[in-house]
Formats: sequence, C-alpha cells, structure tokens
Amino acid sequence: MEKEELKNKIYAFCEAAKGKKKLKEKDIIKGVSEAESVPGDEVKKALREMIDVGKLMYSYGGGASSVEIPSEEYLREKGLIK
Amino acid sequence: MALPQRKTDVGPPHYKQFLPPVIQKNYGKWKYHEVITPGSMVHVAESGDKLWTVRCASPRILSTDTIREIADVADKYCGGYVRFTTRNNVEFLVSEEKQLEPLMKELKSKKYTIGGIGPRITNVVHTQGWVHCHGACTDASGLVKSMMDELYDYFTTKELPNKVRLAVACCVNMCGAVHCSDIAVVAVHTKVPVINHDTFKNMCELPTVIGSCPTRAISPDPAKKSIKINEEKCMYCGNCFTVCPPIDIKNPERDGVAIVVGGKINSLRSNPKFSKLVIPYISNEPPRWPKVVAAIKHIVEVYAKNARKHERIGEWIERIGWEKFFKLTGIDFTFQCIDDFTFMRDTMRTASTFKW
Amino acid sequence: MAGKKYNTPLIDDLEKGPWPSFVTEMKKAAKNNEMANDALGHLEKCYSTKRGYWKHGGIVGVLGYGGGVIGRYSEIGDEFPGVAHFHTVRINQPSGFFYNSKALREICDIWDKYGSGLTNVHGSTGDLVLLGTKTEALEPIFAEYSSRGWDLGGSGSALRTPSCCVGPGRCEWSNYDTLDLTYALTQEFQDELHRPTFSYKFKIKSSGCACDCVAALARADLSIIGTWKGDIKIDQAEVKNYAKKMDINAEVVNMCPTQCMSYDGKELKINNAECNRCMHCITRMTKALRPSGERGATLCMGSKAPIVVGSLLSWVIVPFIKLEPPYTELKELIRKIWDWWDENGKPRERIGEVIEIKGMRSFLEAIGVPPQPQQIKEPRKDPFMFYTDADIEGFKAKEAEEKKTGKYKF
Repeated sequence: MEKEELKNKIYAFCEAAKGKKKLKEKDIIKGVSEAESVPGDEVKKALREMIDVGKLMYSYGGGASSVEIPSEEYLREKGLIK
Repeated sequence: MALPQRKTDVGPPHYKQFLPPVIQKNYGKWKYHEVITPGSMVHVAESGDKLWTVRCASPRILSTDTIREIADVADKYCGGYVRFTTRNNVEFLVSEEKQLEPLMKELKSKKYTIGGIGPRITNVVHTQGWVHCHGACTDASGLVKSMMDELYDYFTTKELPNKVRLAVACCVNMCGAVHCSDIAVVAVHTKVPVINHDTFKNMCELPTVIGSCPTRAISPDPAKKSIKINEEKCMYCGNCFTVCPPIDIKNPERDGVAIVVGGKINSLRSNPKFSKLVIPYISNEPPRWPKVVAAIKHIVEVYAKNARKHERIGEWIERIGWEKFFKLTGIDFTFQCIDDFTFMRDTMRTASTFKW
Repeated sequence: MAGKKYNTPLIDDLEKGPWPSFVTEMKKAAKNNEMANDALGHLEKCYSTKRGYWKHGGIVGVLGYGGGVIGRYSEIGDEFPGVAHFHTVRINQPSGFFYNSKALREICDIWDKYGSGLTNVHGSTGDLVLLGTKTEALEPIFAEYSSRGWDLGGSGSALRTPSCCVGPGRCEWSNYDTLDLTYALTQEFQDELHRPTFSYKFKIKSSGCACDCVAALARADLSIIGTWKGDIKIDQAEVKNYAKKMDINAEVVNMCPTQCMSYDGKELKINNAECNRCMHCITRMTKALRPSGERGATLCMGSKAPIVVGSLLSWVIVPFIKLEPPYTELKELIRKIWDWWDENGKPRERIGEVIEIKGMRSFLEAIGVPPQPQQIKEPRKDPFMFYTDADIEGFKAKEAEEKKTGKYKF
C-alpha cells in the first residue's frame, strides 16, 4: 500500500473512534494492520510521520496516553494553521 | 528574536562534562569515605586524591534566584561543580581542602541548613500537594516544612540509632517511594465521591471507570448514562477520579492524613519492607499540621530511646513486636490497622506467642 | 511589578522556623513574575479552604512528543489569571544529578524567559521540573532547551526518565557504572521515552549496591541493584583500627543476618559461602572490607505504589547479570519484557500487576529466564499448580533415564 493511502486509512481509523474510544498507539497499529493487511511496523512508521507534522497527536487523559485528531486550537498553537 | 532550531531525541547532556576533574580522574576508583561532620564527608580514592562533599537541605521548590546563588557558591569554592541527591539535598563538591571551611562559613552566613549525613533524619521525599497537583488531599511542602522545623536538630546535629527516612504523599498515588519509608505521611480521602452525572457521559469511558476500581464498588447506572458507587465497598482510593474528573472526591472537612511507619528500601541486615499503618486519620490543619508533627516527633523519640544502634524503625519494631510498639508509643490500635484489602493473609498473627 | 499583591497570612507562617522555606522561594520568584505571584495567592486560597483547585492534566505538549509536559489548569483561573495555565515541563536530568554552574544558569535563564521561575530540583521521578508555564510558551521552551542539548523527560504511558545513584562518580560500593548505564539506556530508548506506546508508565532505576540510594526496589518497574560474586576482602590492619572506636561484635558480627562472621578480638573472619551480600558490614567498616570478584547486578521487577491493587516491591527476576557497555544483553531483555507486557497488559496495568495476573511462568518463559530458587522467598504452599504435557514428559523422561542408570536424579 502507498504510504499516503495508508496514512488516510490511519486517519479514518482515528476519526471513526473520535468521541467513542480513546485509542492507544498500539490499538491503531493493531487495528489498521489487521484491517489493511499491512505489517505493524509500516503502520507505526506512517503514524509517527503523521504525529510529527501534527496530522495526529498524542493526548493524555484519564491517567493514560492516547492518540487522537488534533483540535484547531492545538494546530493554531503549533503554527500549523492560521 | 528568532528561536533556535529545535532538536528531538537528543536525550540528557552527557554527565561526564559535569564531573569535577578529581572525579574524572578517580572515576570508579574510590577506596573509602568518612563522615566529618553531620553535613560534610570526604571520599578518598585509591590514588590518594580526596573529594569533600558539603550537603545542604533544600525545600525542593527552588526559585531560579536560589539556583543561581547555588551556582555562584559552586563557582567560588567548587570550580562550579555541584550535584543534588535523590532526597532533594544540594551537595557542593570540593576538590581543595582549603576551600572547605570558607565554603561552610559562607553557607552558614547565607542561612543554608547543613547536615543530613549519617544516622540522622535527612531531607524528606515528597509530592506536589496543593502547590501543583490536581489530586492532592493535603499540601506536601507545608507538611514537610512544619515537620522539619520541629525535627531540625536531627538533620543538623543529633544522632539516632540509624537513618530515619521521612516522606509525605499528598494522596494514595504516592508519587515517590513513601510506601517504604521509616515514617511517612499519606493523605487520604475518607468519603465516597460525588458523581456529576451530567458531565460523566461526555468526559468518561464507562468500562475504564468500572475497571479503575480496585474494590469493584462501581457499577453502571443505565438510567443516568453514568455509574453508581457501592458505599459499602468504596475505600476512597480516588482512582476513579483519576480516570474520570466528574467523580469528585475532594472533601475539605473529611480529607486528612494517615501515618505509616517501619518501611525501608535498602537490604542491609533485613529485607526491604513496606511501611505499615499506625495512625489512620488526623485532620488537615494548615498551615502547620500540629498534631501530625507531634505524632512524628513522638514516634522518632520513642524509637531513639528504645532501639538498638543500627536498627531502623522497622527492624526495631519487628524485634520488639507491633503490640509492643503500640504500647510504647501509646498509639490507639484501630480497625484500620487490620488489613482488609490485599494483605490480610500475610499480616494476621497465627501464633499465641505475643507480648502483653 | 504590576501584579496584584496578595495577602497570604497562612502561608506566610511557613516562612518562619529554621528549615528552608518553599514559601520564601515562591516569594523570590514572585518578585519578578506574574505567574509565581498568582501561584502564591492560589496556594493561600488552598490553605484557607483546605482543598486544591488544579484540574486534571490537559492535552498539551510539544509537536511530535507525547510526554515531558504535564498540562495543568486552575479551576479558579479567573481569580488567578497567572496560573490559569500552569503547565509543568520535565527536563531529563544528567545521570547522578551532576551539574556545573554554567548548566544551572543556562536552565534558569531560559526558564525565567518563559516560565514562572519556580522549579523542583528534582521531581520524584528524577527529572528537573520546571513548574508553571503557559501553552504558547511550550514550543519556544523546547526549542531553547533542545538546541542547547537538553531534552524533555518522560510522562504518561511511556518509559519514564531513568535515574540512578551517584555510582562510581563518588562511591566505593558501586558494582557497576550506574551513571553510564542510565545514560546509555536513556539514549537507547528515546523513542519509548518521548512517545507513549505502553499500557502504562515504566520506570527504570539503577542502584550500584544493596543500599539502593534511588529506592529502585520500591518504585521502579525494573530495579537494577548492583552486586558481586566473589569474597569480601578483609584488611585486618584496618579492622584493628575500627576495633579502637567501635564494638565490632555488637555492631557488625552480631548484626550479620546470615551469621557468617566472627571476631575474636584479633582477627575478623567471614564465611563467604554463607554471605548474602546485604552490605551491613561493608557500610560499617568501609576501610576494612571490600567486595571482590565478578561484578554486576540483580534485576528485579514489578515495584509500584498502591494504585491500583496494592503496593509491590520488585521481585528478583535475573539473579545476576554482567553490566558492561554496550549493555546488549540488558537492552535485548528490556525489549522482550516490553513485548510481553504489550501483548498482555490492559491500559493502566503496571508490569508487576500483569505478571501477577498472567503468572510468573508466562513472563519468565517469554523473556527466556529459567526458574531459580534465588527468585523466591519460599516455594509455593498450595498444591494447585499447572502442568503442561511437556512438563510431564520431561519428568517421565528423567525417570526413564534413572531406570537405565539405576540412579535417582530429583
């Protein structure tokens, strides 16, 4: 699978869970890897690239870390949108 | 002004650049050390080189002004080299003996508290408390300050049978290792939390909240799309509050502190031990918590009077027996002292050989 | 400065008395800093109402990292705007908490520019904690520190900043290089430290001997305790010197937990085969007694504070491991440990709890460590136990071998 396509699948996976379940990084890697038959390492790499540019972000709440889609407020603070 | 370019994953600076030349030269080749005064010691290397250390207490919360002052003192007497200890002390590292006296003199004139080495009470490990933590049921820094004002001489001069490690945790999460201290204060909630059902459904995951309870006191409340808490099972640990902010467990009139004793970390003579509960509840009494301070001082004094040399509090109590500890200290033995959580099997007595 | 002057009679009382006062420190910072000033007013309010006002940690951090910043907001930010945001930044401390004055000033200069001027030197985990800043300052703070060679520490469901005792830097008892190991592990596992992928926190703490000056055994998921395999060497001339100032029988020989020592007023003897290396005699007579032979560490695992199901002290997993750069064996073992935890742990389960739930056998087999009596205080008491078919086949094979040789092997 092309990396960009994989990133879109990852994003869609996170979007589907939004407001329902806090996803841990390993939930995403496992979930996308199984759904798309892509090795977990590839998913992890793509996920990291997305986090590095603020497409996704690490979050913290309820005593545990998770990954989610950043809010506009976050993107503005990081100078990623105006 | 433009910001410098950020770098990721660089890790901490290499420690070697912060080691004084005498350490670099004698790294791993230390032969012995001697305690000179309650606040100073000398380490002697196989080469014969010496390194002197002067230890001072810090309140852990330091202003940048004070850190700069420490840096200035280090420049003047230590070639700029200084370190800190796990228990929040500052250690000035002196490579030249002739700097030792002037350093101590300057520290005294600046009102630094020198001490904490040897069989004494050293600085207190503690948590953030009201100063900076969302879960705090007391203020850790205030308790430490109040305790150490009263126990000051045990840091600077007076000896005890062995070290006494004190700690304060502002809730049962116990950031830091208070559960293995000679005497520790742990702040406790004592009342079942109040649930804000309106915000629950937006802020909390039901399975996570149910799973967070160590006593299985939480069950779903489908009508309210929330949870309910079984009052007979709740031990007020606050873990549900950690995972779900709408579960409010703060209660100013009921929150207080408990005192646990007899823990130790090291393996000297006897194995590491947990601290055990002796006083289940004392009300929060800021700014000085007089009853807590009095209780700790009392336990220290009874230990000082009765223990053998080199016995830690826990070792002394194990030798004399807990029944004797309660008798000697006059502390009331209460239901809370009997474990009904995870350690009952290990902690009930199974012989008739106890003392009256 | 323009800030409001708060009336703080309760916490002012904590400036009295001989012990150094944290309130004095807060006031020093408050002189030039609005945030620190409001932190004072905020704390006075806590003291007067006997409750805290901080909210749960929020979603703040630096781009790409999932830790190192603890979000902190006040419920009463309107009343104390300087602490409406009051986030914590964890700076990964150098091994052994060693600094020079230049480094300390550098840390202060950046912090004064962007934060409250308040710190914890150090926090419980070991990081140098910068206490209180605003969200918009986080990226600049990170750029300033990281460009000068400082990085953030760990937080959340990640590897927490490893920490260690003073080790060979200034201690004659260290059995391995705690400073170097801590630096090496921190560098090796940068990814696991900054990007939270674990079920919960994971702490690594390294002590050079059984004195355990970083309390590794009580609070680290992986507690690395230095030890040795050879004899304790005795300098009898130094023993004589100690005899002049202490009662060697009362203070050393009679306090030995294994009773493997004797002293007849002339010569100190140690039956090394019976010694359990507790360190008591060595700490009492450091000039006279020294370990010898092979050095390394005991790896213990699982300790934690009471949340969720009770406190744990670390359990002995690997009785002895040599620890020399590049520490390949330990690094590989740590990765195997994390793989098993990742497979078996649910969110917010520390590894000690997972080992309890899944069983020590599952864990030991996964990481390739055989069962050894050094791991336990005593064997199982109840006869409820698992047998695999392979176990029974093994027992039967041994019996068949015995029939052939005519000799029992128990």
